[in-house]
Amino acid sequence: MTSDVLDLSVIRITDSQRVGAKVARLGELAYRGWRVPDGYAVTVDALGSWLPTAARSELARLLRGHTEGTAALDRLATQAQALIESEQLPPWLEDAVTAAHERLRKRTGLGGRLRVAVRSSAIAEDGAGASFAGQFSTFLGIQRNEDVLHHIRKCWSSRYTARALDYGRRIGRYPLPAHDLAVGVLQLVDVRSAGVIFTLDPVTGDRGRMVVEANWGFGESVVSGHVTPDQWAVDRASGRILDRTVGAKRHWSVFDPTAAKVELKPLPADLTGLPCLDDDEVGYLCGKAAEIETAEGVPQDVEWAIARDAPFPDNVFFLQHRPETTWAEQAPAQEPVPADPPARAFDPVQYALRNVFKVPGT
Amino acid sequence: MASQEKPRIFPVDDFVRDELYPGYKQAFGSQPFVAGPVRPFSKADNARYWLRDSLHFSEGMVPASIALLDDAQTWGAQLGAEIVGVPPTRGSVNRLAGTHVYIGTIDVDTDWQVQARAARFGQYVTPILADFDSYWAMRAGELQSAYDYFDTLDLTAMDPRQLWTAVKDGYAFHRRAWFIHFEVMYVLTANYLAFYQLAEEIGLEGSLVSAFLSGQQTFYSKTDEGLWKLADRARELEVTAPLLHADPADMRAQLEALPHGKTWVAEFDAFLQTYGWRTEETCRIDTPSWIEDPSPALYAIGSFLAKPTGFDFHTTRQQAAAERDAQIEAARRTVNGSDLQRFNEALASNQAANFAWWNEEHNYLIDRRAAIPVRRASLELGARLVNEGKLRQPDDIFFLFKPELFAVMEDAGPGWGELASMIPDRRAYFEDWRRRGPELPTMLGTIPDTVPDPIMIEVFGLSGHFLETLKGGAGAAELRGFPAAKGIAEGVARVITSVTDLHMVQPGDILVCGGTTTEWTPVFGIIKACVCDTGGSLTHAAIVSREYGIPCVVGTAAATQTIKTGDRVRVDGRQGTVQVFPSQAP
Repeated sequence: MTSDVLDLSVIRITDSQRVGAKVARLGELAYRGWRVPDGYAVTVDALGSWLPTAARSELARLLRGHTEGTAALDRLATQAQALIESEQLPPWLEDAVTAAHERLRKRTGLGGRLRVAVRSSAIAEDGAGASFAGQFSTFLGIQRNEDVLHHIRKCWSSRYTARALDYGRRIGRYPLPAHDLAVGVLQLVDVRSAGVIFTLDPVTGDRGRMVVEANWGFGESVVSGHVTPDQWAVDRASGRILDRTVGAKRHWSVFDPTAAKVELKPLPADLTGLPCLDDDEVGYLCGKAAEIETAEGVPQDVEWAIARDAPFPDNVFFLQHRPETTWAEQAPAQEPVPADPPARAFDPVQYALRNVFKVPGT
Repeated sequence: MASQEKPRIFPVDDFVRDELYPGYKQAFGSQPFVAGPVRPFSKADNARYWLRDSLHFSEGMVPASIALLDDAQTWGAQLGAEIVGVPPTRGSVNRLAGTHVYIGTIDVDTDWQVQARAARFGQYVTPILADFDSYWAMRAGELQSAYDYFDTLDLTAMDPRQLWTAVKDGYAFHRRAWFIHFEVMYVLTANYLAFYQLAEEIGLEGSLVSAFLSGQQTFYSKTDEGLWKLADRARELEVTAPLLHADPADMRAQLEALPHGKTWVAEFDAFLQTYGWRTEETCRIDTPSWIEDPSPALYAIGSFLAKPTGFDFHTTRQQAAAERDAQIEAARRTVNGSDLQRFNEALASNQAANFAWWNEEHNYLIDRRAAIPVRRASLELGARLVNEGKLRQPDDIFFLFKPELFAVMEDAGPGWGELASMIPDRRAYFEDWRRRGPELPTMLGTIPDTVPDPIMIEVFGLSGHFLETLKGGAGAAELRGFPAAKGIAEGVARVITSVTDLHMVQPGDILVCGGTTTEWTPVFGIIKACVCDTGGSLTHAAIVSREYGIPCVVGTAAATQTIKTGDRVRVDGRQGTVQVFPSQAP
């Protein structure tokens, strides 16, 4: 069944109930012409029905059990995850994933050298109000077909980590419904630098400032908070860099071919004191992030990566974006409806009044 | 039914009188105008400047057309400027010299009014520019559904009351269409001029801006393409002879006598059903649509056939679009930082709400079409009045003023005998002034130093340079104007002062004229270059020249007075200059 696995090129934002918000947004970004890593998605429907009946009943029984206290929750999580990871994906799903993976290898021209990220993409995730960001797993640098299949199962089981169960319970989504998680399999970019942009100041909520946080290597070191990243504050209206801080970056996330995954390693000393982006790159990222915000109508945080092996700006990729939830909740009055566009550098009406009609005081 | 009860009348008779307060005149209440109605010139008009509008009304106005002019360039423009709140202008106002139209503007001259208008201008324009597509779709939809109604009315089957209602509805619609016209036009002009000014501020030439916005397909470019296709088809079907040589009156019969003539005529009729709901001029109730009289379309096809080959629209359009994109990219490379961001946003705003495109596109929905419902219903009414012995020919009805017609139809005012007796003299008056049209001055009154109305600057070309040239007078060997479309061409000038002489243009001529309108478009496929007295960056000639890839200079103020047909001229569309080499050695 082809609809169990969808190539990114056919995915739009309207598919978020099938492929999860994260992958649907990526598909929409690609459709609108932003550079994103190519890939495919295993749909919510496919994953919602893959567990054999017996395993499903056992899982339901476990989840009905008593979950008060950290220890009990940990035990429950371990049992649930073991149960899931011991199951094989059914042949119809394995076949569909294998075929999609083969298509991706062809499209990228990398064949068997293709490395991918296997990412959870939940329906509830990144939705209005609550962020499941980071609750579910992502696995990077996967190369072999059987490893892709294995990590799709691991994504599914990551719904049952103690942390995710606890979070789900606190936001009233426990036990998690079966049909709420898809998996995206996306080309892994050979990353030089990566990080996050916030289209408003994430500390003060100031919409006049955008903030870029970045480190050498993969963005995981930034997103996980394991390093103090480089930081730029940029004036939205003028695009001027207001403030730049070179972070004490002791570590970076790099792909380790022997371990076949991305790991946090000490950063070589010669890179520590060196900003990982130049001003052109910062400017380009802010411009693109502002476009995404305009299209979405609310402030966003945007994950991006800059590849080693292509000329600027063809090497800038956008990995995901989501509403900036902290300020969405705390400052609803400031939250723009889409009709109120973000600050513009050029307002034709004001400009016409001042410079064309020369109305005094405008 | 209860509604069959007789209406109760509370007589007004007790209050009927000519007097109100001492000194009151009826005229005090009879001006349904925002700023002022169409009038003949008066002495006081010497203090203002007046531009002859041969762009829209080259041949003069019959009495019934004056009401339509009133709706359009007078009332429509004034209401549009008022509602949009354009700070420096209250719109345009018209004067008549005999039957010919002059246009002036009404400046806003108090500080408070400018400020108050500026405030509401922002409120009105901002949401429209934020989603122009939806807004124009709404307005265009309103107009189109009116045409769907009027164009399918079976006028001959109507009873007298229904027919009179159709005339009144036609007038009401015409007025509404012209409000829409100026509402949209003022909104888009502001957007365009903001971009223009920004370009100059950041070191680009303002004249590039209209080039950045060129290359959009309009109803008129599609019309031209259809006409060229019909010319190609005429070659294929071997029916070119009548199109090149026959008198328009016999053309259809001669075509249909040829082996494949009926096929071609059927294709031509199908073309007219889509593209033929247009007249040759604006507000001219006496001009037929192409559906009624397809001569202009047939002339155009004939002139295309005079060229040895067809016109490759596809390639020309692609080249024009590629060149436009290259110009945009070249401009982007010269601006930096926050200027670039402002440039990009201004460009995006103008691509989304594109005056250069709309200025062509709207003619089909408004300027060239809005009077057709009134014309059709009036002609049917005229035919019936002929049968009743009240008029001598159907178009006599065009020689009644609208208030006269309304009064006599509603059984008030002078009777048919009195009205009909004036018509022969009115026809003679019209003819006399039609002949005098080409001699009338381009400008009357006092030439100002600047004109604040944006439409007068960009469409009519009343720039500072233009006004200077007017003051200096004609006669120079080199004319300067606005560089409207780049390229250099040298050739023989053909001076044309009326659209009705357009068929005299030969392939390879350099067209010299007062200004062009949509009806002139087909000729751009055969000329080498174009020079106009009037016009700015958004003039029809500027837009169409860029699309046809020929050099064009507009706003020269004096080209038709300086250049004679047969002179050699050299047009430099990048410098905005025209050199004249008179055909007789001095």
